[in-house]
Amino acid sequence: MNYAHLHLLLNHIPVIGTLIALGLFLVSFFGKSNEDLRRTSYILFATIALFTIPTFMTGFASQSMVKGPGVDDLVRRHESSALLSVWFMLITGTLALVGLWKSQTTKNLPRWNVIAVLIFSLLSVVLISRTSNTGGDIRHPELRPPNTLTVTEGTFGTIINKFEPDPDKFSAVVTFSKWWWTFMMAMHFIGLIMIIGSVGLFDIRIMGFLKQIPVAPLHRLLPWGMLGLAVNILTGLLAFASRPDGYIYSIAIWIKMLGLMLLGLNAAAFYLTDIFENVENLKAGDDAAISAKLVAASSLILWFGVIAMGRYIQPLVDTLLSTN
Amino acid sequence: MAVPVIFNTIEQSGISVWLRESQSIFGFYFILLFHTFGMSLVVGANMVVDLRILGVASKIPLQPLKRLFGIMWAGFGLNAVTGVLLLTAYPTKELTNPDFYLKLTFIGLAVYTMRKMSIEVFGDASMSEAAMIAKGKMMAGWSLFFWFSAVCCGRLLSETSRYFIYGHPAGG
Repeated sequence: MNYAHLHLLLNHIPVIGTLIALGLFLVSFFGKSNEDLRRTSYILFATIALFTIPTFMTGFASQSMVKGPGVDDLVRRHESSALLSVWFMLITGTLALVGLWKSQTTKNLPRWNVIAVLIFSLLSVVLISRTSNTGGDIRHPELRPPNTLTVTEGTFGTIINKFEPDPDKFSAVVTFSKWWWTFMMAMHFIGLIMIIGSVGLFDIRIMGFLKQIPVAPLHRLLPWGMLGLAVNILTGLLAFASRPDGYIYSIAIWIKMLGLMLLGLNAAAFYLTDIFENVENLKAGDDAAISAKLVAASSLILWFGVIAMGRYIQPLVDTLLSTN
Repeated sequence: MAVPVIFNTIEQSGISVWLRESQSIFGFYFILLFHTFGMSLVVGANMVVDLRILGVASKIPLQPLKRLFGIMWAGFGLNAVTGVLLLTAYPTKELTNPDFYLKLTFIGLAVYTMRKMSIEVFGDASMSEAAMIAKGKMMAGWSLFFWFSAVCCGRLLSETSRYFIYGHPAGG
């Protein structure tokens, strides 16, 4: 299996998944407002946003396998499209998580949030469809005019293309100054500190330490951890997209991404089963169930694993060079 | 100003050479990793206490957070040990870099504030939460600033170094 395989495997998630999530979301508006269906679509939006990250990264990593005479322009077109759609996918997922968080104690999702998710999910579907289409053009000559290696943009494509960043200009903007780059990396560290401080403390409490603190107030710290994660995803993707060759051949970055996906699965296990319900009202002195402790311990181990892999990106920078 | 010869002496020592050049997984990057872990413990735990004092998640009882100072000191201890090892690997690179001294200054101020907070805010178990917050608000604000600055100075080290090792200017 190589990067191209992985990219083709993963890219179905944002493309088809967003359509399914949007479909469920729209159905929830018809007839009697269906909050459960709406929340389900929110969970899907958040999950898809998470999977968009490795999809985006494997796309960059597989470029060298498809680049060549005649297809470079098509690859570039697809890359430009992905550089736009990825941010809308992530914003949609973030808005969905914010909505789920805000509605923990209320019956309905906040109205402003429902409108925002509607707008961004519609835009995401449009943009990811464009990304999918431009990707298909690379290896499906039957989709192009006969005997051509170019694609003439239609009206729709021409409009969207105006907003798609040029990959070289994007890279130049992100790397224009070593001070800006260093600031981004400093923010990446601040983000990880926010995650370990808030999520780490919550995990430690669930595991049975610091029992003098009731769980519910500690849970209110989690948005700071999620803000840290958002900062890290932003700075991480900017760094990766501007200098992909510095990352794609390091096995550490892929293990790090796998760790992030497992953390998403861990969070799903925590919130979508009865584990969270059983711990959220634990008072000072109460002990959590063993299942909750296992999830909390997994979370801590995975977060430190992600940090470790981040540190080892550079020393393992060419570990995959000969295999791709 | 000439680079002190003692830096070269340290760099030629067995431990310094091993830290710089060893291919072992327990080499330089392993130590750097634990420096990162220590940073996330000391600054992460400190951040939680500071934010709480400043009013975030105000339902968290304040007095039990005193236990976090143990995690902070453990993180600081880990960083002190790993920091000395990292310095042993590259003494010229760090000790000729003004940013390194700035980082140490901010760390010193942050640790001083941390100790002051542990004594003056959390030292008296009978103090009310309102009194603790009143006493700790300014310290919490400065603590966040000092740690944020220390982290940024740390990230800047690689970009501001004048020498890589003794006799070898950075970038040359």
